[in-house]
Amino acid sequence: MSQRRDDPDGALMARVEARDADALAQLYDRHAARLLGLARRVLGGGGEAEEVLQDVFLFAWRASASYDAARGSVLTWLLIATRSRAIDRLRARQSGPRAGGRSLEELDVDPPAPDDVEAGSADRQWESICRRAVLELPGDQRQVLELAYFEGLTQQEIADRTATPLGTVKTRARLGLMKLRERLRPYMKSGHHGA
Amino acid sequence: MAHSERHEELVAALVLGMPLAADAAELEGHLAGGCAICDELLSDLRSAATALAAGARPAAPPRELRARVLASLGPPRAPARSPSGAGGRVLAAAAALLLFAVVVDDARLRRQREDLRSQSADLAGRLQSAETRLAERTLRARVLESDDVQLLLLGGKGPQPDARGRVFWSPKARRGVLVAASLAPLPSDRQYEFWVFLAGKPVAAGVFDADVAGNAVFESTALPEPGAQNFAVTVEPRGGVPAPTGPVVLVGST
Repeated sequence: MSQRRDDPDGALMARVEARDADALAQLYDRHAARLLGLARRVLGGGGEAEEVLQDVFLFAWRASASYDAARGSVLTWLLIATRSRAIDRLRARQSGPRAGGRSLEELDVDPPAPDDVEAGSADRQWESICRRAVLELPGDQRQVLELAYFEGLTQQEIADRTATPLGTVKTRARLGLMKLRERLRPYMKSGHHGA
Repeated sequence: MAHSERHEELVAALVLGMPLAADAAELEGHLAGGCAICDELLSDLRSAATALAAGARPAAPPRELRARVLASLGPPRAPARSPSGAGGRVLAAAAALLLFAVVVDDARLRRQREDLRSQSADLAGRLQSAETRLAERTLRARVLESDDVQLLLLGGKGPQPDARGRVFWSPKARRGVLVAASLAPLPSDRQYEFWVFLAGKPVAAGVFDADVAGNAVFESTALPEPGAQNFAVTVEPRGGVPAPTGPVVLVGST
């Protein structure tokens, strides 16, 4: 899937790599709310999610050279970094309250964007497309993907929690992701956020 | 081995960060064989998986967090907390001296960076190493603000006998900094994973990448407490695993 060459995030990343702090600030303004939302979905409210957000932007600053546009958009890169750090903390926590387990139906289909987020209508449209694509997945496939993505469960843990054979969990994960890929591919191919 | 649905399952599991150890080894072998389909699938599914993030409601960060993030980019603007007590004052003074050194070093590095911009690409690695050293000093300064900071040396092991590292950590703050050098480059689907040993058992403390020069500075802010007995670094599937599966490349002892 191709990366649009003239996307604003790509240009900002080039400036970040040249140590332009203003560019990082602009990336923060564009995406901090989304990234913090993801961290809070994994970790719950409180300071840890904010620490993850800070870690992610420090990582973006220090490791900007590791961003490869051929492997995905800047937002994808930041989301992966956010998710991996949040899951790291969730696993390290080992016990205590978890925020995970909520399904998409419990969330607003079209949550209002915070006032201080410079997300354009195209970004909100993209999020809406993503949410719809996820909601259209069969429930059992969506459940596997959400347990893995938001709670960091292993295949075996998902099998145990859902009382489902391990092989079925693997199949549902594959089918779910392949369907998401097919539904989002037209938008990705046109150079939008995904890849 | 020819591409099959089985490999698609393995790629999906990898993207979701949940491969079983044996599966990860199988996929690694398949990818090493040069499967173009899986290469493309890995990139596509990684992007597709981020669609799941759209299910998380955006959350406006606190106003002060933006300033904190921007201040953390450079030592001259790094916020300093004020430790209390006599020991705290000594450590605060030490941290201040360290920060001063970092400021001086930062100015020097900035001048170096301007020079290097006009030079050949092979100098980029040197710059990255210099920035890694700067990051190391910054993070060490932050950890040294704690009054219970400890140091442990790590030595190379297994496939990377020349690797070396140091861990500065504060049990009270549950924060630690690993500074490593001479780490080998890894395939794109692999990352180094940092482990802390408690009661003889490894607990995942985060994943990180080394720069092109083999250096890495990694800060873990989720160390379990209390009583870290040892630290280690292994090579694992990108994103990390809950229990070590790959070779140990760095290990130390308290």
